[in-house]
Amino acid sequence: MARTREIKRRIKSIDNTKQITRTMEMVAGAKIRKSQERIENSRPYTTKMMEVLANLSSYVKAGKHPLLEVHEKQERVYVLSITSNRGLCGAFNTNIIRKTESILEREKQADREILLSVAGQKGINYFKYCGYELLSEYTEIGDSPKFEDAREIAAKIMEMYINHEVDKVLIVFNHFKSVMDQRPIEYNILPIEKDMAEGEKERVIRDDYIFEPSPEKVLYELLPTYVETLVYRTLMESVASEHGARRTAMKAASDNAVEMIGQLTMTFNRARQAQITQEISEIVGGAEALK
Amino acid sequence: MSDKYVTCEVVTPERVLYSGNVKMVVAPGLEGEVGILPLHAPMVAVLGVGELRLKLDEDKQEYIAIHKGYIQVLEDKVIILVNFAEFASEIDIKRAKEAKERTTKEIAEAQKKGEDYYKAQIDLEKAENRIRISKRI
Repeated sequence: MARTREIKRRIKSIDNTKQITRTMEMVAGAKIRKSQERIENSRPYTTKMMEVLANLSSYVKAGKHPLLEVHEKQERVYVLSITSNRGLCGAFNTNIIRKTESILEREKQADREILLSVAGQKGINYFKYCGYELLSEYTEIGDSPKFEDAREIAAKIMEMYINHEVDKVLIVFNHFKSVMDQRPIEYNILPIEKDMAEGEKERVIRDDYIFEPSPEKVLYELLPTYVETLVYRTLMESVASEHGARRTAMKAASDNAVEMIGQLTMTFNRARQAQITQEISEIVGGAEALK
Repeated sequence: MSDKYVTCEVVTPERVLYSGNVKMVVAPGLEGEVGILPLHAPMVAVLGVGELRLKLDEDKQEYIAIHKGYIQVLEDKVIILVNFAEFASEIDIKRAKEAKERTTKEIAEAQKKGEDYYKAQIDLEKAENRIRISKRI
């Protein structure tokens, strides 16, 4: 009796867990769609901006701008690691943390001072626990990153770069390859690489534009916005990846739960049968003794 | 394209705010307003904080509050890329007024302490801009 009751209780508890993971899987699925849409929505902005930049770079000898300038001394690196606020998303955060640590190690060997910033509660907890000094912590980025969030981060980065407080800025984030596939990558955000500012080469470059007030001024206004857009993109990709990773993890959990329930049900039936058999043999045995 | 209308797109990083044919675009350039009519020469201009007007028809205008961005004019197309844009009808006046009060206070405090209040100044400008445009409807 005791054994069957115990198995039954386990089945019930696993079933509860399954319900939770199923729901989370579904919620994450819906959120992936939303965040993918958001990436789509920002695409026109990004491509149009690239176009203008490409046009501009044929006018302006761009080397002068402090954001394009490569610092002579490469002594300090700023690393921004983007993790999530919530867990239960498989290896999402672990991947980022591991990648960040390998970068920190690499930069340390190159004798560079490292300034580390982390977005997302999970990463912040980890790096604090490991005893790292964090320059800034960003936790307000939720399921729908706002352009303002990106602005805040970008403004800080650019200020430090222009003041020569850092010589290189890297962002580590989960690149959203597809719903099933997200991988951590590092992205060199500052100095702005020249080929990038120049955009795709095949694009027709027109040479009869009027620039208001002047090409230089337009470029100077544009470059900071370009950096902000890049940061915004990484945030959005990271959020989309988070939901993707969570859905994969939750799907695996639900599938495991189903399998476990199947096995336990079988054990339960066996135990029940064994019990009945035993009871019958006891009755038969008892009847036999009475003869 | 016809020579009476020009295709206009207003794009922010978060969404495409407006897309359609208009008769005229008036945008807040850094050195005064820039008006674009159909068949305008190709141009790129930086925009400041201000009001973007789209003339849809003789008696119909759309007012949009924008902060920082730029306008790109091609033969038959005007693309306006801005960091922030809101239709006059969408503006939350209460929030804008609160923002105005807050930033005014911040500036006063910073002045007292002799601190830099550049950022607050910009925020104040944005809030005032939004209040002004919300009254357009």
